[in-house]
Amino acid sequence: MEQGKPVNVSDSDFEAQVVKSEVPVLVDFWAEWCGPCRMAAPVLEKIAQQYQGRLKVCKLNVDEARQTAVKYGIMSIPALHIFKDGTVVGQIAGVTPNFESDLKKKIEPHLE
Amino acid sequence: MGDVMYDVIIVGAGPAGLGAAVYTSRDRLKTLILEKLMPGGQIANTDRIENYPGIGRIDGPSLIEQMQKQVENFGAEIKTGCEVTSLEKLQDGNIAVYCDKDKSTARTVILAPGSNYRKLDIPGEEEFRSAGAGVSYCGTCDAPFFKGKQVVAVGGGNTAVEETLHLAKFAGKVTMVHRRDEFRAAKVLVEELLEKANGPNSNLIIKYSTVATAIEGQGKVQSIKLKDVKSGREEDYQCDGVFIFIGMEPNTGFLKGFVELTEKGFIKCDCAYLRTSVPGVFVAGDCRIGATMQLVTAVADGVIAAMMLKEYFRDPNWWSEPVSDILQPHGW
Repeated sequence: MEQGKPVNVSDSDFEAQVVKSEVPVLVDFWAEWCGPCRMAAPVLEKIAQQYQGRLKVCKLNVDEARQTAVKYGIMSIPALHIFKDGTVVGQIAGVTPNFESDLKKKIEPHLE
Repeated sequence: MGDVMYDVIIVGAGPAGLGAAVYTSRDRLKTLILEKLMPGGQIANTDRIENYPGIGRIDGPSLIEQMQKQVENFGAEIKTGCEVTSLEKLQDGNIAVYCDKDKSTARTVILAPGSNYRKLDIPGEEEFRSAGAGVSYCGTCDAPFFKGKQVVAVGGGNTAVEETLHLAKFAGKVTMVHRRDEFRAAKVLVEELLEKANGPNSNLIIKYSTVATAIEGQGKVQSIKLKDVKSGREEDYQCDGVFIFIGMEPNTGFLKGFVELTEKGFIKCDCAYLRTSVPGVFVAGDCRIGATMQLVTAVADGVIAAMMLKEYFRDPNWWSEPVSDILQPHGW
């Protein structure tokens, strides 16, 4: 796994990268045409770097990885789901006004 | 950032902040822009701008990209992912701006933090929004998830009409709910909306004089409670998603106790030179009193602040002077 940077995932490697990950994973469901998704990108990069080794950050393009997006009932993007031991333990929908701190509050309880 | 002293720090890289930076950086003023996300602000969410004079039609992200390139070419520095948490007026008159513990200092500040979606404040709204379960404030973002489904759009302004037309390209049926009995959006948009609604096999229905009172469902949105404000009659209206386009509110929580705000959170200023209650601190864009919440006026505000800060450099006492009747103040 590449350390400290968001990893792109698809339908085919979602299981291996996210569900079976040994560390908690933050998955960003996003798309090219979504302005807020693009705006959220630098915050996710920052989080990937800050929590390096304790949290994996993955990006899933909902246009390309449709099956996974449907499976997790995505209706609004950006959607950020926190996976631990294969299950969703927390989520944030949309870019909230204090996005970075809101995200950290959701993530921290699930880290070792 | 250490000991660097900026001439101006601009808080927010939306149209107001970038508009200001075009002028300050072109004037060779040392300019830093702090942006909590990526440059763009609300305008990045729209795929259709056709009221920017001189530009026939453009989408938000493209316009912002060009503005960003323009200011960077002139030497402005943009820091993204940097959320301003507090500001402080220093003894020497300069202003410290903090992103958590990260401190930058400047002679002047232009506050351009913009605005965010206003909420209906009805039961179910926040619950379904935070769960990503069918409440959205961004048609451009989320319309494709409602292909062939039934959605309700709430609102009646320009954004509401544009976004509803966008939704109608995807959804099976769109019901637009508007609390008044006529639209206050720009006529050209209203005409397009009505034409679409009255067309053959239209998937667009308009409900006038109607308000939403609750959003309901098991695990996801299944219906919305609508109330006819004239008859008082209520109904449970079936839908898979609710889109809310009822305007914006200012992003000024972090400014409480630093500059004077109105009860609703708008920044108080003189509206001619855009001076706030703190000398050296200007305001621009959606978050000031009297804001018209338009792209063009946000950009214009940025430019006004950028020009007026030179008056403050010339003489700090200018801050308390009344608005001048001299057409061309010093140095222009």
